[in-house]
Amino acid sequence: MYQNNLIDFNPYSCLSAVEVGKHLYWKIGSLQLHGQVFIVSWLVIAALLTISFLGTRNLQRIPEKFQNFMEFVLEFLQDIAKNQIGEHEYRPWVPYIATLFLFILGCNWAGALIPWKLIHLPEGELAAPTNDINTTVALSLLTSLAYFYAGLSKKGLGYFARYVQPTPVLLPINILEDFTKPLSLSFRLFGNVLADELVVSVFTLLIPILIPLPVMILGLFASSIQALIFSTLSAAYIGEAMEGHGEE
Amino acid sequence: MIYLPLLLAEEIEGGLFDFNGTLPLMALQFLTLMLLLNTIFYKPVTKILDDRDEYIRTTLTTASSMLVKADELAAKYEEDLSEARRDAQAKIAASQKEAQSIVSEDIKKAQMNAEKLITEASKQLNIQKEEALKTLEDQIDTLSDQIKAKLLSRQSLK
Repeated sequence: MYQNNLIDFNPYSCLSAVEVGKHLYWKIGSLQLHGQVFIVSWLVIAALLTISFLGTRNLQRIPEKFQNFMEFVLEFLQDIAKNQIGEHEYRPWVPYIATLFLFILGCNWAGALIPWKLIHLPEGELAAPTNDINTTVALSLLTSLAYFYAGLSKKGLGYFARYVQPTPVLLPINILEDFTKPLSLSFRLFGNVLADELVVSVFTLLIPILIPLPVMILGLFASSIQALIFSTLSAAYIGEAMEGHGEE
Repeated sequence: MIYLPLLLAEEIEGGLFDFNGTLPLMALQFLTLMLLLNTIFYKPVTKILDDRDEYIRTTLTTASSMLVKADELAAKYEEDLSEARRDAQAKIAASQKEAQSIVSEDIKKAQMNAEKLITEASKQLNIQKEEALKTLEDQIDTLSDQIKAKLLSRQSLK
């Protein structure tokens, strides 16, 4: 009843309705999938692949414009890995960290920049893939696997000695940390992106353009920060698993 | 149209925390993306960056070694140049001395020749003078004889 009044009052509200927790379901065998997440993530992946294909088509010793940009991007990503993991061991982890950053940044910006509301799906709505908990949990679990793999391949079973490292009293906390790391990673990203989209949606519901626009710009900034945080923290966990605890 | 009940995931389908097959497939998709980006982006660009570093390092070392070599060559040329200059100086001095000695010898020889010529000429002159004096004496004798004879004959005629 109140909402109907609102629709009469604000003609934009048909463009700015908030839909949370509704999904476009696809079924593959017995698996249920969130279709809207996959559609947008495929677009992001296609964009990333296209840019990197175009940017690395004609590599030269003296870089041209596009190659310069790609080199700048790669050096930035290498620096993230280098700062967290260390000069000697960062190289094998650059692809993982870099892809994390690029994929999350692409997903966040895809949600923030493209007016998905104009495309109507039978159910749910297109948005950033990172505002689905499945995506963020998938990425953070990959990070968990990555740092376990890093620690085990570097130190063998001696890796587990770090659980009792300062004192055995801290054993439960150290074990708990392995659960809180992916949890905090995934919820930080998920919460930030979802909250940003919700705030923008609610503001557009109330006021057409004046207030939501600065919030959108802030969201753009926040989503790139989130991508940086996610990849930096992943690199930090990997680096922490590989180095001895005494150097921390 | 805020579907608040859905936030609590009360329905069987849907909700915010609706875990399903999206999770593993997203992970797989991410890993595939990582492999693809690794082959088309990270590896080639890393390789070109490393190659450039290597190239710069090697050219820098060759350049510095070349610089050292060039300095050595310049020093050597400088030395050669000064040596050549010294040689030239010495040669000039030697040839000057030689020329001077040749000139002074020539002068001495010419002087000696001239002296010889002078002495010869004066000797010749003396000889001719004596000869002339002798002939004159002879002529004086004959003339005086003739004068005497003439005088004597005139006296006897008287």
